[in-house]
Amino acid sequence: MPPTTIYVAPPRRALEAPSAAVARDLARLFGRSAALAGVSLEVEPGRCVALLGPNGAGKTTLLRVLATLLRPTYGTAFVDGLDVTTHAGQVRERVAFLSHAAGLYADLTARENLAFAATMLGLDPVDARQRVPEVLEAVGLSAAADRRVAAFSAGMRRRLALGRTILGRPSVVLLDEPHAALDADGMELVARLLAAWREVGVTTLVASHQADRLADVIDGSVTLERGLVTDITGTGVRVPSEPLAVPVGERVALHAAEARS
Amino acid sequence: MTRDVAVALALARKDALAELRGRVATGTTLFFGAIVLLLFGFALGPDARRLQEAAPGLLWLAIVFAGLLAVGRLHEAETEDGALEQLALYPVSRHALYAGKALAGFAAMLVLGGVLLPIVALLYRVDVLAAVLPLAATLVLGAAGFAAVVTCYAALTVRMRSRELLLPLLVLPVVAPLLLAAVKATVASLAGDPLGELGAWLALLAAFAALMLIAGAVTYRFALDD
Repeated sequence: MPPTTIYVAPPRRALEAPSAAVARDLARLFGRSAALAGVSLEVEPGRCVALLGPNGAGKTTLLRVLATLLRPTYGTAFVDGLDVTTHAGQVRERVAFLSHAAGLYADLTARENLAFAATMLGLDPVDARQRVPEVLEAVGLSAAADRRVAAFSAGMRRRLALGRTILGRPSVVLLDEPHAALDADGMELVARLLAAWREVGVTTLVASHQADRLADVIDGSVTLERGLVTDITGTGVRVPSEPLAVPVGERVALHAAEARS
Repeated sequence: MTRDVAVALALARKDALAELRGRVATGTTLFFGAIVLLLFGFALGPDARRLQEAAPGLLWLAIVFAGLLAVGRLHEAETEDGALEQLALYPVSRHALYAGKALAGFAAMLVLGGVLLPIVALLYRVDVLAAVLPLAATLVLGAAGFAAVVTCYAALTVRMRSRELLLPLLVLPVVAPLLLAAVKATVASLAGDPLGELGAWLALLAAFAALMLIAGAVTYRFALDD
């Protein structure tokens, strides 16, 4: 059972740019289909923003581009003013991404998984030894710390993956369907984490189908459909003020036509 | 630099720990290597001289075939549960990731060679104890070069559906010089180096390993990133 309040340490790096995350005219094509077809948005630092929309709307692709896992086909994306394509390494120092898959090693214990992540995230070994038990407690896995992940349920794996996002003290957290596989306690944990991150100034973008579960913690929301922004509500997120230089929709259509020919 | 070393060691240690607990690669590849040697032994018949002449080549064929499985498996393990994606997300240099994976592959190759060599001695009636040092040097250099190549290609093919077929097709032509030099060095070692050529073959193995490690470190990011 996770504690009722979660202490999340402030980010290791305070954001310097006026916007935490920016997408300009962002398009990502997979063969003939455009997962993103010209998305433009700007997220203010320290805000919690929900990405909403049906399956295939482009939510996951947008998060993966911001996390440096995918390169944009057209357009640009920035995290803390850093281009995700040309400054991927520096972006990774600021971002934590929770994907659909937990990204854990089944033959290692929960503690070993986090200790490995701590080394990869560049935590000082002394700091890591202190942080790992704290994180395990925060996600309600202290009792299972020395069990192999192979014996974990899907929900426990999800909790451990959430713990890994806390561990590196990121400035920007990207969560893709964080409620997936979680029970009621786990969903409560996500809500508390989002609130804790907002309190310490961490920017969070959450792709979810469960808008009602996010209602109490988000500042604003962006709705995507077929790779385009169809609605922006609330505060903390807006369409960039600068006019778009090139109509990306035309380039996407041209690209698709070239792929067909 | 210090951070890169820490990352590489942590990655190699993680692979070793996972393998020691899971025993997915070691169990199957060691068995496979031993079976290959056994079957070749049956095919060659009981003629002791013939077996001794074939031993160096068959040893390295068994090491290469089983090594492909073992080092390839190190990357396959990363695809389970999206771990490879998570690895790509860490703010670490791709050189360090390559070094860590190559180090784990090198260790796996050494274990493989260390187990297969006594099997060769037993099945092919070869006196390996008389040439332990030159054989160890050959194994170390050959394992380093092989791990350097396979690590890079395994990262390239790991996301592909037909990776089990593609990996040998890509790797085997590249490691042909290594195989040649390793077999020649093993022959020279077992024969007591009568022509004084062992040094040249070991130098070729070392040069191959160094070249492939540099090439792998430079190109690994293209295999790992989008």
